[in-house]
Amino acid sequence: MKMICINCPKGCELDVEKSADGTVSVTGHTCPRGEAYGKSELLNPTRMVTGLVRVAGMRKPLPVKTRTAVPKAKIDAVLFAMHQATVQLPVAIGDVIIPDAAGSGVDIVATANM
Amino acid sequence: MEADVIVIGAGVVGCAVARELTRYNLNVSVLEAGSDVAEGASKANSAIVHAGFDAKPGTNKAKFNVLGNRMFEDVCRELKVPFRRNGSLVLAFGPEEEKSLAELSAKAEKNGVPVEIIGRDELRRREPRVSPDATAALWAPTGGICCPYELTFRYAENAAANGASFLFDAKVSGLEKAGEGWRVSCEDGREFTARAVVNCAGIFSDELNNMVSATKYAIQARRGEYLMLDKDEDGTFSATMFQVPSKMGKGILVSPTVDGTVIVGPTAEDIPDKDDKATTYDGLEKVKAGARRTYPGLPLDKVITEFSGLRAHETTVGDFILGEAPDAPRFFNAVGVESPGLTSAPAIGVWMAEKVSARLGASRKSPSLISKDVSWWPKTREMKPEELAELVERDPSFGRVICRCEEVTEGEIRAAIRARVGARTLDGIKRRTRSGMGRCQGGFCTPRLIEILGAELGLPPESFLLSRKTAPKALRGSSAEDSRDEAKTLDVLVVGAGPAGLAAACAAKEAGASDVLVIERDDAPGGILQQCIHNGFGLHRFKEELTGPEYAQRYVDMAAELGVRVVCGTMVLEISPAAEGKGPVSVTAMSPRGGLKVYKSRAVVLAMGCRERPRGALMTPGTRPAGVYTAGTVQRLVNMDGIMPGKRVVILGSGDIGLIMARRLTFSGAKVLACVEIMKKSSGLMRNVVQCLNDYDIPLLLSHTVTDVEGREHVTGVKVSKVDDSLKPIPGTEMHFDCDTLVLSCGLIPENELTKKAGIEMDPKTRGPKVDPATMATSVPGVFAGGNVVRVYDLVDWVSRDSATAGRSAAEYARSLKG
Repeated sequence: MKMICINCPKGCELDVEKSADGTVSVTGHTCPRGEAYGKSELLNPTRMVTGLVRVAGMRKPLPVKTRTAVPKAKIDAVLFAMHQATVQLPVAIGDVIIPDAAGSGVDIVATANM
Repeated sequence: MEADVIVIGAGVVGCAVARELTRYNLNVSVLEAGSDVAEGASKANSAIVHAGFDAKPGTNKAKFNVLGNRMFEDVCRELKVPFRRNGSLVLAFGPEEEKSLAELSAKAEKNGVPVEIIGRDELRRREPRVSPDATAALWAPTGGICCPYELTFRYAENAAANGASFLFDAKVSGLEKAGEGWRVSCEDGREFTARAVVNCAGIFSDELNNMVSATKYAIQARRGEYLMLDKDEDGTFSATMFQVPSKMGKGILVSPTVDGTVIVGPTAEDIPDKDDKATTYDGLEKVKAGARRTYPGLPLDKVITEFSGLRAHETTVGDFILGEAPDAPRFFNAVGVESPGLTSAPAIGVWMAEKVSARLGASRKSPSLISKDVSWWPKTREMKPEELAELVERDPSFGRVICRCEEVTEGEIRAAIRARVGARTLDGIKRRTRSGMGRCQGGFCTPRLIEILGAELGLPPESFLLSRKTAPKALRGSSAEDSRDEAKTLDVLVVGAGPAGLAAACAAKEAGASDVLVIERDDAPGGILQQCIHNGFGLHRFKEELTGPEYAQRYVDMAAELGVRVVCGTMVLEISPAAEGKGPVSVTAMSPRGGLKVYKSRAVVLAMGCRERPRGALMTPGTRPAGVYTAGTVQRLVNMDGIMPGKRVVILGSGDIGLIMARRLTFSGAKVLACVEIMKKSSGLMRNVVQCLNDYDIPLLLSHTVTDVEGREHVTGVKVSKVDDSLKPIPGTEMHFDCDTLVLSCGLIPENELTKKAGIEMDPKTRGPKVDPATMATSVPGVFAGGNVVRVYDLVDWVSRDSATAGRSAAEYARSLKG
């Protein structure tokens, strides 16, 4: 399977193949992150999700992210969780805003001091 | 409501008539179909005060042109409106056209207008940029330039100060005789009576006349398309440059404006729809071709906007029709007032007020009862430093710059809203203050303007984004301002606290500079990263993937630890290099709290970043409705102000910010219909095409562009066409998208107005200053530059790296000066 690595601006073209015994081989990458991406994209594609959470009493929203990447299939549920939440200030970078978002096992954390 | 006189139409003629009527003991009301003054031809014309050599002798056009022209100095002084008699030149290309000049000259003599024919050499001496093909010219020294909407709203302000009332969104749909006067009814059901009516309805003035009179008139909408060029320090032409006129009008002109920009146009095209103010591909091509005849060096990269206006051309008489309708007593017409309407307006106003007052037997007010007030407010960009300092001390809002391109402050914007006939829309603010009228076309100031409008008028800010028609935050961030800064000499002063400025300041401090100050115009440090809430930053610099605000915070924290001082809410207005490169550089800056200050610093680092190319610079044809934004503006609205601009979105251009916003808008509930790119490949990074478009099945249409924008009030759709190898749209390939928002992501331009003003040598390729890559030194000793102000980077990590070089070099330079 051909794909483009999304780790950095280089955008390496990867060729990822799964052999009969289940092992995955990646070619075309130029760094270890690329190889890992190729494998994950074939077996269990994941994405970092960044978004906004309502702040009580303010128009300005708080920017947040998933602490690590979540499975692509979970993106909608994670966005929904962000949409449902309202946070009280003050908040610091790294504060957990929603633990274990949408049952993904990943926390949603603040990405700005407010 | 009852009035003595109802004036229908609040264009320049209607407002001039209303103002002159208030000189009499008359109760005056103005009804306007639009939501502001100057919504018709008064806002979109050539802004020329014509000398009057062109009008046919004996006509109303000739008479009022010449009378009006003579009144301009006095009227503009009274109303405090900028006006300049720069003179007009009509160019002839070859012997055939030279004959036309002689005919014009004869006409001018009959009209009583002084003119002189000059030869090629004299022409070239006066206007070095004129085409060498121009063989002679007619010089008319009484020609001038003026700001048509400023004239209109100052007329309105003075009329209001003298008791006239203005009603907007009042489209007149019925006129009936009522006693000796008239009953005027509006589309929304409002009814008014008046002893007399003055019809100044511009392009619709025929329809009003035809409701009451058997003498029928017919107005043909004659569209003129224009281009506007950015301010030019060198001055393009000093006079207004005409070409020999034709049957359809005065041809394509190139002229300076009183605001320092250059206006180019108009075309002349008869169109069936009196509301169709769209620009067209063909029209703009005609403007360019016509202008190049006069000005072969026409710099298209300086186009900041394009627009069109509709002339009210009367087809049965072909002249201004002025005065009481013969069969409709007390119904006065100003029908068919097209060019030279702006020039004639002061004279029409006085003449009409005399006729109406005589008919109604009204006496003149005693001069002591006439207010001279025009709701004037100070224009900070034109003030002397000491005056400005005093003003800011009295009212700090005049120290907070909202529109960076035109240097318009919050105080001016509030004054424009609070005026008697105050601004109620973004366009209203724009025309009264120039905020949003400069080279970024509102990209940066729109979110701030809607906030001020909302706070002043008690409405939600997003309501001002719905249509073109229809509280400042307390300073946050660090304000480690030190009043002693002026007295001492700093080591390194950095302009801009985005990633480049902070990296430069930190590096300077680390390299041993003792006194490092960063000046930031926004209310908080971090620059554009504050609104880039997506991840993908810092992989090289911090070996981990961060979001924009996280990356920015790392540098804010580092700067604080190192003892770098950051002053926010302060705008640098000027950088003056030391004489002969010796001694410190002077930096003039303004803030609400500190007023105007001059800092001295041994070295300066420029880190002003870049701005987006606005719609005007792309020359996309179509209407100019609300709902067209640059990607960065949408990013700010969504991510920082919590405002969604629309639900169905088309993105033009595939720059990284556009791709990122395709995903963000999808996340926030909008449907992104397509991303349209004129080139054969995306201009953004492949990784963004994958994770922002492909992941969400958003089509990327390569070799396509937007060829029409539709919608009068708000965007209702766009037309997209395939382009050929020369990027020209291919007929027959059009497809249509119903959408309410068009987002532009068509490139970034380094922001170098300060750099140019400081006389620093520029690189035409990067549009940034020329720098030595080893030190990031510019051509002026002691001035360094880093980040997007030098060239547009695709990765912030490299911005930090290169501007750190600038910071280190600046520290070293400061040390060398200290000896």
